[in-house]
Amino acid sequence: MVQATSPSAEPPRGSRPRAVLGADDEARTDALGERALALARFYQGKIETVPKVPVRSLADFSVWYTPGIAQVSRAIEKDPDLSFELTGRWNTIAIITDGSRVLGLGDVGPAAAMPVMEGKALLFRYLGGVNAIPVPIAIDTDEEFIDTVIRLSPAFGGINLEDVASPKCFRILGELQRRLPIPVWHDDQLGTAAATIGGLLNALTLTDRDIRTTRTVLLGAGAANIATARLLLSLGQDPHQLTLVDQKGILFAERDDVDSLSLRNTWKYHLALSTNGGGRRGGLAEALKDADVLLAASRPDPTMISPAAIRSMAAKPIVFALANPVPEIWPDQARAAGAAIVATGRSDFPNQVNNSLVFPGVFRGVLDARARSIPDDIVIAAARELAAHADDQGLTPDHILPTMEEVGIFPHIAAATAETAVRLGIARAKRTREEFYARALEIMQHSVRLATRLREEGLTLPMPDEPSGGNGTP
Amino acid sequence: MSHSPHAPKEPKGHEAGPSASAGLPVHLRTAVLDDVPALVPLVLRLKSLNEEFDPLLKVRKDAEKMAAEILTRDIKDPEAIVLATEGVGADKDRIVGVVRARIRERPFYTPEREGVILDIYLLPLYRRHGVGEYLLEEITKLVKEKGAGVLTAEFPLQNHIAASFYNKRGFRPTTGLYSRPL
Repeated sequence: MVQATSPSAEPPRGSRPRAVLGADDEARTDALGERALALARFYQGKIETVPKVPVRSLADFSVWYTPGIAQVSRAIEKDPDLSFELTGRWNTIAIITDGSRVLGLGDVGPAAAMPVMEGKALLFRYLGGVNAIPVPIAIDTDEEFIDTVIRLSPAFGGINLEDVASPKCFRILGELQRRLPIPVWHDDQLGTAAATIGGLLNALTLTDRDIRTTRTVLLGAGAANIATARLLLSLGQDPHQLTLVDQKGILFAERDDVDSLSLRNTWKYHLALSTNGGGRRGGLAEALKDADVLLAASRPDPTMISPAAIRSMAAKPIVFALANPVPEIWPDQARAAGAAIVATGRSDFPNQVNNSLVFPGVFRGVLDARARSIPDDIVIAAARELAAHADDQGLTPDHILPTMEEVGIFPHIAAATAETAVRLGIARAKRTREEFYARALEIMQHSVRLATRLREEGLTLPMPDEPSGGNGTP
Repeated sequence: MSHSPHAPKEPKGHEAGPSASAGLPVHLRTAVLDDVPALVPLVLRLKSLNEEFDPLLKVRKDAEKMAAEILTRDIKDPEAIVLATEGVGADKDRIVGVVRARIRERPFYTPEREGVILDIYLLPLYRRHGVGEYLLEEITKLVKEKGAGVLTAEFPLQNHIAASFYNKRGFRPTTGLYSRPL
């Protein structure tokens, strides 16, 4: 996620003892939390709807509303696809959550999920130019969840599922993707997986590896890593050379809980059957021996991965420790144990694997192409675009992914996404890559211009704790 | 390996012909007493799965001993059928599945005898490929030979995977078991 840390607050990497770094980090997180709460009180919401048509006098409402508007309704009644042309549906998505797994907080429920969804809507608006409406829903069953989203779908050009617990997120996403004619995305699965794969592709290049012969270990088998595993396999990863490890240890076909998985988590079940060739047993230590790559998305605990386990990996190992806010091993420890490339989920270390690099561009792209769905090919296209962009800026072990400052990436991801949708035959709007890029850039720039002007005009109130207000007027 | 005591009723024991199991990753045969230690963990896996569906299906502490006793009893009982599923190739001689069925009288209804599938379990890697179908065909033949006019299967009502397996193969729900703890 985008973090509003001031540069001076960032500790120099690897220069302090662990305990100090942890305490600093905790203090900084607390301070940010206090500030967020104060600002939430002040602003009472982070987004609002504003007119995009002129209202010169009340007489204009006779075309924006009744009686004139009836003709627009009749046109859409005849051809429902016109809702994408005659209304804002083309650029509007719902951010839907049941609040069952919000950040690291867990099952806080839909109302408490709202501030997070508003924040996400702000990122969608500011970075992707997408009108994103936060829609936390009160549901009891998966069926209710699916049914509710289907019933809401006529208002939206796309659906972003957010903070929905694993394993129910897999079935809900799968069912909605199957049943809705618009793109459905679950950021905790697909956004994170795309960013992970993007970084991994460059890490493989830097260490002269081919994904088809790479031995890969995934630590954690939640939303992100199950999606990552699927993408790895479609990129040519040999399932026999892939091992998943969760809190019960190495996942394998005859593990005690596999029958339970067959009922509750089909995706993990199928991975249990197809992966871990050679029949390794045990935990992370056994899995990591001679492995090339470790992708960890498990628990925020810096002792999850031991330096000894990294030392047992193949030469020049790749280690992604993606738990937030604390990685499964601190980067300097991983490096000291021989890791050639280390990535985390944090902005204060090099190589941040960040879904915010992905979702604004992907949604801009699928909305502009008016795609009917978001298949894995699109997720992979976004990952490849991320990788290519970092490569263009110069690949080093500390630069395998673009940073959030490289805002130029977003319209490129949009163009790559939209072009892939056209190639796959799922785009209703067919343009060239250049046209998609120009359109995405224009919409994204408009969005930033709008926010800037509102701030400059004082219509967006300056932050009360910053006297200058940052409103651009001296 | 000796055949089960009910083998005399079926002079050659039960060996599925190569044509029936051709291409399948398993080989099916009548279980013998020597198989019990290998069959017990499979039955326990099935019972542990049932735990998922209802607290009233919580597996007992002595379930392992009970499984061994029941398998031993049914291997000897002419009114029961226990089949061992073996792997093929590298897994030859390894028991990867179990089927246990019993013949029951139906005092009030016709047909008067039914074959009840009580346990059917295959290790995950041996599922699909039509193995379940094959097990069902074989058990059908065997219970018919014992005079059953209807084949039934007992499993937790919430096991939708089992329900769908049987639904697809011409079974329909007839009687159910509703429970409440006391």
